[in-house]
Amino acid sequence: MHELSIAKDMTTIIGRAIGGPRPLDRVNVTIGPLSGISAESLRFCFGEVARSEGFGEPELVITLVAARLVCLDCETEYNAKDFYDGCPSCGSINRNILSGREFTVDSVEFDEGNS
Amino acid sequence: MNDPRKDNKVDIATRVMSRNDTFAARNHELLRSNGILTLNIISSPGAGKTSLLEAMAGFFGPGLAVIEGDVRTRRDAERVEKAGCKAYQIETGGSCHLDAEAVGKALEHFDLDDGELSILAIENVGNLICPSGYDLGEDMKVGLLSTPEGDDKVLKYPSLFSRIAVLVINKTDLLPMLDFDVDRAVRECRSLNPNVVVFLMSARTGEGVEEFCRFLKGQAELEE
Repeated sequence: MHELSIAKDMTTIIGRAIGGPRPLDRVNVTIGPLSGISAESLRFCFGEVARSEGFGEPELVITLVAARLVCLDCETEYNAKDFYDGCPSCGSINRNILSGREFTVDSVEFDEGNS
Repeated sequence: MNDPRKDNKVDIATRVMSRNDTFAARNHELLRSNGILTLNIISSPGAGKTSLLEAMAGFFGPGLAVIEGDVRTRRDAERVEKAGCKAYQIETGGSCHLDAEAVGKALEHFDLDDGELSILAIENVGNLICPSGYDLGEDMKVGLLSTPEGDDKVLKYPSLFSRIAVLVINKTDLLPMLDFDVDRAVRECRSLNPNVVVFLMSARTGEGVEEFCRFLKGQAELEE
């Protein structure tokens, strides 16, 4: 459970990008299945940290992207959110991971009243 | 750059781990410039990280230095010091992982350029999730999986097992009493990580320790 320190890193990044704390309405983030980040824990911690640091009570909009894999036996590229199933074409679990470690703050939004 | 007073959306597009990664790159540069091979050893609590380090200290002696990460106490550092190598303990005070900034501070406690030190082993906090995303400046992550934990753990913790260069399956002396399927664990680890190097070991009996240490020695010689 390291999402508390992660949430603090996020508010630091956001504060730097928008010139200091101010109330936000939405924070958009992307999380990949190999990032080691729990979306639910992050939601809980980010709410607390954002409020206590002067960013209001923004909605945390989490885009959970799939990992992109390539089968080493038949070369099919496919997406996966977990790693139990093999290649959709041939069933093999021999594969290379092309992506899936994403964890980014994409953008923040202000509604009319806060802008 | 967006002006937040005009736009109601500000693009940021920043990796959250970027601050840690900056410190990690600094550590990596410092360690590499001194010809030191650095390991980030990650496992569950009780999988045998400290026992492995004690066994490694027997092989490498003062050529090995250890940074211990624990929530509290110097107990692990005292164990490996007794086994014959220099150790520094980071007490994380509740945090579930080490970060690169803390490791950078710990490095100040070692004579990295004494010419004797060839391997630095960083024992992370016992945890299969949180340490995986924090690079510390290591050359390789070593994942330790002990047989009583079960052979199904690899795919449950893909963030870790997809990032390790070396998988050590520890406590092989207990295999006759368990249902642990070594082939399954290795196969599933390779499914995340085709190039992973695997060692079977019992740090308690010493089985497999020398083979692992010889591998590290070879890797360290490449560093120099």
